[in-house]
Order: sequence, then C-alpha cells, then structure tokens
Amino acid sequence: MKSILNILQIWTKELGYIFKDKGILIFILFVPLMYPLLYSYVYTNEVVREVPVVAVDENNSGLSREILRKIDASPDVEIIARCGNMEEAREMIKRQDAYGIVRIPSGFTKELAASRQVPLGVYCDMSSMLYYKAILVTVTNVSLEINKDIKVNHYVSGTTDRQDEINRMPIEYDYVALYNPQSGFAAFLIPPVLMLIIQQTLLLGIGMATGNSRERNHGSVIPFDNRYKNPVHIVIGKALPYFTLYLVLAVYMFTFVSRTFTLPQLGEYRTFIAFVIPFILSCIFLAMVLSSFVYRREDCILLLVFLSVPMLFLSGLSWPSATMPDFWRYISCLFPSTFGMNGYVKISSMGASLNDIRTEYMGLWIQTGVYFILACLFYRRQIVSLIKNIQQPYNPTQNHEYRNNMPQCHQTMANDERRQHMELSSAQAKITASRP
Amino acid sequence: MTVYQRIKSIFGRELRMYSRRPLFMFCMVVAPVLCVVFFTTLMNKGLPTALPAGIVDEDNTNISRTIVRTIDALEETDMIRSYPSFGEARKAMLRGEIYAFFYIPSGTTEQAIANRQPKISFYTNEAYFVAGSLLMKDLRTASELSGLALTRETLYAKGATEADAMAIIRPITVETHPIGNPTLDYGVYLNNIIVPGIFILLIMLSTSYTIGIEWKYGNQKRLYALAGESSAVALAGKLLPQTILFSLMFIFCDVCFYKILGYPCRSGIWPMIVLGIVTVVASQAFGVFLFGLFTGQMRVAMCLCSLWGILSFSLAGFTYPVMAMSPVLQWLSWLFPLRHYYLIYVNQALNGNPVTYVWASVAAMLCFVLLPFLVLPKYRSAFLKYKYQP
Repeated sequence: MKSILNILQIWTKELGYIFKDKGILIFILFVPLMYPLLYSYVYTNEVVREVPVVAVDENNSGLSREILRKIDASPDVEIIARCGNMEEAREMIKRQDAYGIVRIPSGFTKELAASRQVPLGVYCDMSSMLYYKAILVTVTNVSLEINKDIKVNHYVSGTTDRQDEINRMPIEYDYVALYNPQSGFAAFLIPPVLMLIIQQTLLLGIGMATGNSRERNHGSVIPFDNRYKNPVHIVIGKALPYFTLYLVLAVYMFTFVSRTFTLPQLGEYRTFIAFVIPFILSCIFLAMVLSSFVYRREDCILLLVFLSVPMLFLSGLSWPSATMPDFWRYISCLFPSTFGMNGYVKISSMGASLNDIRTEYMGLWIQTGVYFILACLFYRRQIVSLIKNIQQPYNPTQNHEYRNNMPQCHQTMANDERRQHMELSSAQAKITASRP
Repeated sequence: MTVYQRIKSIFGRELRMYSRRPLFMFCMVVAPVLCVVFFTTLMNKGLPTALPAGIVDEDNTNISRTIVRTIDALEETDMIRSYPSFGEARKAMLRGEIYAFFYIPSGTTEQAIANRQPKISFYTNEAYFVAGSLLMKDLRTASELSGLALTRETLYAKGATEADAMAIIRPITVETHPIGNPTLDYGVYLNNIIVPGIFILLIMLSTSYTIGIEWKYGNQKRLYALAGESSAVALAGKLLPQTILFSLMFIFCDVCFYKILGYPCRSGIWPMIVLGIVTVVASQAFGVFLFGLFTGQMRVAMCLCSLWGILSFSLAGFTYPVMAMSPVLQWLSWLFPLRHYYLIYVNQALNGNPVTYVWASVAAMLCFVLLPFLVLPKYRSAFLKYKYQP
C-alpha cells in the first residue's frame, strides 16, 4: 500500500514536470499526433501513374503503332513524345522530361515475318526504382499480349474462338497481391512508421525530461526528494504518465489515422491492445536506460533523431531481413521497433492473431523485462551516488560528472551548488535516517 | 584585430568546446562513419537474391514438378519448402517464413492435356514492398513459362527446332537497358541518397545546437564581443570547424562509394566531392537561417531541423517520386537541400550528363548558401537582447 502511494506521488510529480515543459510536449504530443497525418499526406496517392516515356519508332508499321498504342493506353505509362532518333530521345531523358525510352528497331516486322525473335528496346532512367518498375512491367505486359496474338494468328490457329483462346494461354494464371492489393506505397510504409514514431518520440521525450532534471538538479537525474529513494518505485512512477498517454496515442494511430488515410485495417482491436502494451513499456524502459547518456535536454535530439532511418532499415520491412547480414539481424533485436513494426504490420495489414506473432510478442516482453531491470539499476546507481555526494564534505574541485560537461557555466554552477549544498547539509541527517 | 584573427580565435574556442564533450565528436565523426558502414554492409548483396518462397502443389504430377523446378531456378526466388494446403502456406507467410507462394490446384495437368485451360495462381506479400515486388516479377515469368512449356512441347512434336519454337512462342522479347545502374543494385540506389540525407540531418542539427548552446550557457555576449560585434564573423568562426569536419565526412563517403565499392560514377569523383562540400555549406546555412528566423529559440530551431531532415527523405523523391505527390508538396520539395542533392547526383554520377541540365538545382543550392544574409539583423538583436528559454 505504501509503495503504491509512493508510486502515485512520483507519478503526479512527473506529470507536472511533463506538462509544464513545452519542449517535451512537442515531442510526446504534437509529433505523434501530427506526423502520421503529414506522412500519410505525402504518400496519399499510393502508386505512380503515367510515368512519362518517349517512343522511338524506327519501324513505323501497323504492328509497331499498335504496340505503342497499347503502351500508351496502360495506366502506368504515358508516351509524351515520339522522337525520330535515339539522340533526340536521350536528350529528353537528360532534361528529365521523360524517364524511359521504348525503341522499336527498323527491321522489326521483317524479322517477325522471317520467324526470328526480335527485341523491343527499353531504356530506363534509374533515378527511381518505381519508374523502372512501371515502365518494365507495362512493356513486358504489352509484349506478352502481342506475342500471343502472333502465335495464334500465324502458327497455331484453332478452329473456334475458344480454341484460339486456349492456344493463346494453355494454362491460365492468377496473381494476388496479398495484404496490399494495389501495391501501394502508403499501405506499405505508413503502418511500420507509426510504430517507429511511437518509439522515437518516447526516446526523445524521456531523454529530454532526463536532461531537464539533470539541469535542474545539478547533474542528478532524480530530484533530492524523500520520495525518490526506491529505484523500482521511481521507474514505475516515471513510466506511468508516458504509458497512459501513449496507449491513447497508439489507439489514435490504429483507428483515426488508419481510417482517414484508408490504410490496411484487418487487425482486431483486442490483439492490437495486447500487443502494443509490451511495445510501449519496452520503449519507455529503453528510453530510461539510454537517457543515462543525456546530460543536456537538447542532447537527445542530436543523438536520437538520425537513428530513425537505420532503425527503419533494421526492421527488415523495406530491406528484406532474409538478405541482411547476421550481425545486423542480431543488433536489430535490441530495439523494440524491430518487433513492434513487424508485429504491427502483421496485425493491421495481415490480420494476424497473437498466436501468429508469437516471436515478436515474446521478444517485446523479454525486452520489457531486461530494460526494466537495467533502468532500475541505473536509478539505483543514481540514488547511491546522490547520497554519497551529500555525505561527503563539500569540495568545489571535486570532479562531478556534470561539471566535466558544463565547463562554460562553471562559475554560476559552482555558486548555485554552494547554495544548494547548504540546503542539502541541513537535510542530510534526514535522508541518512530514511535510507533504504 | 583583423577579421581573420577573430575568426581564428573563435575557431580555437570552438575546438576546445568539442574536446570537452564526446557528444560533438559522436555527431560529427562517429555517427557519419557508422552510417556509411551500416548501410554499405546492410546492402552489400546488391539486389536481394534468394528470397524465401513456398509452394502448394496439390496436383503433384511431373508437369507441376517442372513448374516448381522452373521457379527454383530463377535468381531471386529460393523455393524453401512446400506446404500441404493453402491455409498452411498463408500461416507461414504470416510468420514471415516466406514472402510469396505458388498454388497449383489438383487436376491442373489433366485439364491442360484435355485443353481445358486450367488456372494456377501465386500470392505475394505486398506488405513487404521490395520483397513482394521482386518475387512477383519472378513468379510471373514462371507462370508464363509454364503455359509456354506446353506449347513448346507441341511444337517440338511437330518437328520444330528450338530456335523455331522460341520464335513462335516469344516472337517479341524485351531488352532492358537500365541507364547508369546496369546491375539494378539496390545499394547503389538507396545508399547514394540515404547516407547524404543523414549527413544533412546531422549538419542541420549540430549547427543549431552549437549556435544555441551559446545562449544556453549565457555566453552569447562574450562571443559577440570576440567577433568584434559582427554576427557574420561570429557565425563564420563558429561553423567553420564543422564545415571542415563534415566535408571530410562527405569525402570519406564518396571515396567509400565510388572508389572502394565501385558504385557507378560517370562524372568522376571530383564533381561529387564538390557537390558534397556545397551541400555541407548549404545545410549549415539553412540551419543558421532557421535559427535566426526564430530569433535564437534553440528548441524550436532544433525541432524544425529534425522535421526538415526527416521529411527530406520522403520529399527528395528517390523512393516515391515527387511527380506522384500533390502539387503543394511538389512545390515544397524545392525547399529541401536533399532534393537538389539527389537531382544533381542523378545528373552527374548516375547519368554523367553536363551540369547545365540541372542548373535550377544548382541555383537552388546557392540560394540556400545565401539564406543567412536575410537573418543577420535578427542575429544582431538576438546577440544583444535575447535570453535562453528552455
């Protein structure tokens, strides 16, 4: 009972700190609320349509015109110009007016009539893989289509239309893009990014709060307060405000953001909640462990923001983890985002149950446990060093950790410290008596 | 004191500050090097090959087994195992064991022989975009081939040679020429932009951090006096060490990419090094501009720099083309240094064209460099009046 009361006291105190600090609020409230909307807006068109290409028709026959017509009629590619020769076409690529060239060689129909294979030239600008994909898929589709016509009309014509159709395609096939039917970019990228935003903003927010308290309490991450003496209570008390806030934010992402931008929503509500609890907890405890490196409130922005990009790649969502070197695969297990992003994609896009994502779910709970213990150890060390500092007689040349890192305001700090030391000495007897 | 001496003394003051805190060295040296190492080793395989796929063969005849062998022989697919039913394969896909599977229903061979046009199907997991797209390409080829294999057998039976048969089955072939990246190496495609993107992010953040720290520690007036009451001298002296360090990082990155790993670089390495240095100065200038715009509010400036840096990965348009975004964003993309870096890189290293084709981006980069002059008066009042707010 007493410990619950203690945790509640720490909780309210931390809540006060958080809501008074605009810098922290930007990261833990504004960014998680607005960034998903901004990001979804960027990718809202999902797919690339009408990639501009130029045609070089050296053959200029009925068949070559039919091929170009079919390419132009496809949704992904648009023929913006017809050029007389390759030089002209290359010039358009250089100016980035077009991203590809389709070339039909001059002997095209002649070769076909002589029953020889003839190539259709496709030149792609490689600045974006999506252009390459659009152009290549379209031209391949058209060539297959025309091939079948040639095959049936010239060589293996049947007696009925149905027989022609079977000759065109002795075995039919079907292609199903599971979980992302239109192969959209938003449906692929946004769901994992939502989880990454949760982790990164938590790391930033908690790191900033820790830096803040170091600045306020002269290098110590905990205030000199009777209530802050049990590491487990501190960790739980500090985690609670973030946990409740992020549970709400996660639900906001799962429901509001997904619905507004029509992202995949196959997930079950209960599965999501059960999954996101260990995810948020492990992020919070990891943030507490990492914040031991943060001495100034702005430090964490410098340390953590750029890590978002490598973490996205470590998750194996954009770069298949099957082809990742083992070393990086092991490293990726250290971050909750890896399990969190994969698990979330499986829940929301593929409709997985908790049983299907056992690996991710267990991984997150293990991380929660490990980081919780590490966070407790970190705070225990802080308490011990705080008490040690207080018990020692004051010595201005003593090499405090924070002083190393704050040389420029040495003078003011030392003065402040002297004043604080006076206050501390009077409280010294009290704290030694109540020491655990 | 001359301007040169003032800059020199501020320069030295700056270096002493770096030496006292490991954070600076981490951001300016360790993090960039780590990023280069991370991304190049992560994608050292180039185009992902041997992606795991599965098969559900309910037919189990020699024709269906031919299809399985065909798929396995394709470069990007590694047929790891077969599953007894559709449901099992779907579960395996959920667990992440396979990215795609092929489904051959029972009776396929029988129907094909009886000319009844059976249907086979394949499923790819497009929630994993790259893996899904690559496997889609392979499995489509295999599906086409399986149908054509039947026709080919018929033609052989009629006495056609292989060349004859191929001319009948596939009279028109598609010959692709990927300009500049012939091996379709994903590492070339992604690393060339992601690593500079991270550099730009780090440059902008450390610019606003090191400037802001003067106000935070209340040293801004001392710096101003040291610079002979000139904001331009103060900022130049302060940022010059970072310009040098980050330029060295860009050179390291260019040497790694174009000399050691042999990424395509048709323009030669020098234009890329020049581009790198211009990018460093442009990003620093942009950081100075943002900081000045908000009259020295370190927090706001750093938040904006993070937002800008992270957003530039999307708006540079190298994964998802800017062309396909809404018009507002197309316009906005001009305000991101990474966007111009990307356009100039494509023009120079990838395609080896004369730089005049991207004059607009070069001009934009130079505009970034000139931005700080707009906010110098604001810096003056910030130096004299403004105090740090947490």
